[in-house]
Amino acid sequence: MIRLIKAKFQFQRIALAATGAFCVALAAGASEEVERPLVGTPQPVKDLHWGDVLFYFYQDDFLQALTRLGAAQDFNRLTHHTVEAELLKGGLYLSLGQHEEAGRIFRMLLNDNVPLDVRNRAWFYLAKVWYQRNYLQEAADALASIRGALPGDLEPERHLLEAQVLMYLGRYDDAVRALERWQPGGKRLDAWSAYARFNIGVAFVRTGRIDDAARLLDAVGQISPQTEELAALRDKANLALGFAWLKDGKPNEAKAVLQRVRLRGPQSNKALLGVGWADAAERRFTKALVPWLELRDRNLLDAAVQEAHLAIPYAYAQLDATRQAVEQYTRAVEAFEQESRRIDQSIAAIREGRLLDAIIENDPADKVGWYWQLQNLPDAPETRYLYHLLASHEFQEGLKNYRDLKLMQRNLASWELSLTAFEDMVDTRRQAFEQRTPMLQQVLDRVDLDGLEAQQRELELRVDEIERENDVAALATAREREQWEKILRIEEVLQRADPSDPLVEEMREKARLVKGRLLWDFNSSYKARLWKVRKELRELNVAAAEARRRWVLVERAREEFPARTEQFAERVAGLKPRIAQLSGRLERAAEAQNRYLAHIAIRELESQKKRLAEYSLQARFALASIYDRASSAAPSAGGTE
Amino acid sequence: MSEDFKSLDQEVQSLKKEVLDLNRELFVLEEELLFPANTQVAIFVSMDVGEFFALDSVTIKLDNKEVANYLYTPREAEALLKGGVHRVYIGNLKAGEHELIAIFTGQGPNARDYRRGATVKLEKGVGAKYVELKISDRASRAQPEFIVKQWD
Repeated sequence: MIRLIKAKFQFQRIALAATGAFCVALAAGASEEVERPLVGTPQPVKDLHWGDVLFYFYQDDFLQALTRLGAAQDFNRLTHHTVEAELLKGGLYLSLGQHEEAGRIFRMLLNDNVPLDVRNRAWFYLAKVWYQRNYLQEAADALASIRGALPGDLEPERHLLEAQVLMYLGRYDDAVRALERWQPGGKRLDAWSAYARFNIGVAFVRTGRIDDAARLLDAVGQISPQTEELAALRDKANLALGFAWLKDGKPNEAKAVLQRVRLRGPQSNKALLGVGWADAAERRFTKALVPWLELRDRNLLDAAVQEAHLAIPYAYAQLDATRQAVEQYTRAVEAFEQESRRIDQSIAAIREGRLLDAIIENDPADKVGWYWQLQNLPDAPETRYLYHLLASHEFQEGLKNYRDLKLMQRNLASWELSLTAFEDMVDTRRQAFEQRTPMLQQVLDRVDLDGLEAQQRELELRVDEIERENDVAALATAREREQWEKILRIEEVLQRADPSDPLVEEMREKARLVKGRLLWDFNSSYKARLWKVRKELRELNVAAAEARRRWVLVERAREEFPARTEQFAERVAGLKPRIAQLSGRLERAAEAQNRYLAHIAIRELESQKKRLAEYSLQARFALASIYDRASSAAPSAGGTE
Repeated sequence: MSEDFKSLDQEVQSLKKEVLDLNRELFVLEEELLFPANTQVAIFVSMDVGEFFALDSVTIKLDNKEVANYLYTPREAEALLKGGVHRVYIGNLKAGEHELIAIFTGQGPNARDYRRGATVKLEKGVGAKYVELKISDRASRAQPEFIVKQWD
């Protein structure tokens, strides 16, 4: 696999090219470090569904996170995280390349009702959105509205952004001053300020302010890198400065900084070429051959290696080594022709539409995202020549769009399968309702809630009367009531009996005793029983109220259920054509994107072919000059240009 | 950037916005259809561990029937450690009492294997029921346990 060069800086505006015959392209891709829109002190999760959103966010699954966030807001499940949710939503839209939507959300957060740290972050993200859309003055104004420091990594990123914005506004001195205020220069630069200095330094080179550029680039070119990315940045800084010195006619200074570039690394080819030219500028051609011969044996795909194929015979010619010069020029012509044929093959493959799918198939990730960057290229003819193009902002953004469109097509396709299940669910609801309604009606008919409530009220009135009358016997148990009634009947019989009969008198006495005993029992239990009856009545009240509540719910559900089912049916029916229409549009947009990217890829390949043709012509011209001089039998140095 | 690119980019942004909105609508509809609020039960897993703990899996049984058996990738476990909460199960339950059994397995410091469980009685009423299973070692240092919280 061929790995693309990665640089830390997230915004893909730092591709700069030095001019002239040195053919240096300083390309930088975007960060492999995925942005965290909510860097800062994590807040405790107070709503479970907020935690659910974060679960996907922390895995960089922005599509899932955004979908769940929107759904949770629709269900009103984020009551404790309303502001954080909006901030995250804006960040997620930004992560998904939806600048306008992100900008709208962040603007809404800019009012006095939100805390200062939220407003600061909203200003920061708005500045990013505007910067990305090239509204530089608005971006600068937004950054100036931030009060105090931002949390975590956002703070150095803010300073970097500020420097970038000022630079692109042409206010280079202000950009440098902003950098110096944030972090004075020196060898102990952190990653953020190193990138800022590099970018501004290269911009100075472009505008011809070499001494200013040197000050910044030299600092970056001597940092002690802790990571591979910083090491690559250091190489780029030395490369940029080296070629700037070369162009400015200072080859010795150029050689000194170019020799700091690692011998094996993404910039080594260009550095070797530059070191050779530095020596050649001082007419030290023998020394110049050393790096060029090393370079010649490297991959001819590289522009520096192609140039070395011409530079070597040129040096031999300068050293009057005519035979070697001829050999090398001939070798160069053959190599260029071979490469040109390979480029033709690649162009043919791209015209057949194989470019993007070859690239995307090689990408193992399945996540939509603005911060997705191509990590590996397939080692295929159609991709081999396209490093610089693939690192360019236009191509990367176009590729991201294409990839996102394809992912969204797959996403919609899986939802389309679910629609059948939704339709089945709606039918199931209808059938279930039709089946259950008769049974439900039977249950409801069996229960006479009004009658039960009437009985309950009657019971309460009865107990009130008992309490009012102090009717202790009314709360007797069934057995006690039986005994009481028996006693009353006995009393009644005894009342009619002969009072002179001593047995009758005895019976009356016994009956009086038993009645008294019963009354005593009733009295002593009365309060407890009354309390118990009251308690049971309260419980009955509660149960009755619950039964009534459920009754109302059931009735309401029964009334609303059919309408709700039909609403679901309408929603499901409406989704099918929408999905079909969107899928069609996605397909057409993906094709258009594919055609556009293929067009710029072919344009790039044709320009490479053109360069090879020019080199080939130079080589042939130089060969012709040598043969010419040889045929006139006067040894002289051949020139290539 | 060329005008062609900008025009394409605008169209792609607009399309993506429609797809994102549609995604949300479909997600909401799916939940409303399959798991209506009055019968919905959802079980969430979260972590609050001070010592190292690598979560491997969580198994959920409701009324003695296994309803979820989830294997966590390192990425997902990392997301939990950062404070994410995973909705491991969503389903439907009738009103009344139910039994939830949850078991988690993982590795603690010194590659020690852990397997812990919790049994919970759930009272399902009218309205959605949420249960949070928090794997925590705060109470018993270096010994992760389930802490169960019920949300209505």
